[in-house]
Amino acid sequence: MAVTIRRLEEFDEVAGFDCGDEPLNSYLKRHAWTNQQKVSIGVTYVAVDESAPHAVLGYFTLATSSVPRERFPKKFVRGLPPYDLPLILLARLAVDRRFSGRGLGHALISEALTITMRVADEVGCRCIVTDAYPDKTGWYSRYGFIPIEGAAASGAQKMFLDVRTIRRALSSESSPAEREQAGEQGTSS
Amino acid sequence: MPSATRKKPSAPATQARSKPKVRKTKFQADLAPSEDQMVRHLKAELEMTSNSDFLTDALTLYRWAVAERKRGHRIVSESTTGERKVLLFPRLERVAPEVTLPHVDIRWTDKELGSLAELVSVQPAEPTEALIRAMRR
Repeated sequence: MAVTIRRLEEFDEVAGFDCGDEPLNSYLKRHAWTNQQKVSIGVTYVAVDESAPHAVLGYFTLATSSVPRERFPKKFVRGLPPYDLPLILLARLAVDRRFSGRGLGHALISEALTITMRVADEVGCRCIVTDAYPDKTGWYSRYGFIPIEGAAASGAQKMFLDVRTIRRALSSESSPAEREQAGEQGTSS
Repeated sequence: MPSATRKKPSAPATQARSKPKVRKTKFQADLAPSEDQMVRHLKAELEMTSNSDFLTDALTLYRWAVAERKRGHRIVSESTTGERKVLLFPRLERVAPEVTLPHVDIRWTDKELGSLAELVSVQPAEPTEALIRAMRR
């Protein structure tokens, strides 16, 4: 399987996509293209195989966001730079269950983080944040995402990864624990 | 009355003869037989005989494509009937700016904001093994 990750295109085949989670399936089928091209509230990247270059095997959606400085609790404001906090939102990440266990989740998060670094280098951003399903927080933790405490009782867990940590990963020499498997699939909503 | 035009002093003979030499770089590539055939075919199609001319033209085209993607422009071919195809070339996608990501609002609880502020205030965590692997593609 030779996988490419690229932006979602209008005629990509999404109808058969099934990651086992209806909201994530539905987002890709009904909203991803509109959100990307028409209302511009999220850009979706899809994983496709060279042999079937329009059949979507997995996807993630990114958007930018920011937190106004004045919204932070006063006791923390003093330690922060005098600007709003720019960040990337990893809004969704899912792999078709027929292709799970093949490293697609790793490839997708890897691409999402690479794009995050490109944004950080070009326009600046401080961190990447995702809303993870409770059963997927362990998967995100492997990549260094840290749970953000204080979520409303909605089920999703906000998680944080500092851009400086990703930058350190980029400059890291070979690691002794490469053998460690990162796991294969993660979903967030 | 002095003349309005001045004669340029004639350049010394040696200077006129020797133009500054432009140093050219030799470019050598190992091509697979199929790629070599492709180059020959393209050269024939474009009625080119020189490899240098071929490389120069290819470079011009590549440079243009990179510049377009850097500006965030998509490269599209349109058929005579109006059917469009977008060029997706992984290497070009690397230079495409991702600054076109849209901006959204996230709902935060006060407690989450406190936790986030704390996370961005402290020293960043060391990268995990999985993160290092992910970034070393």
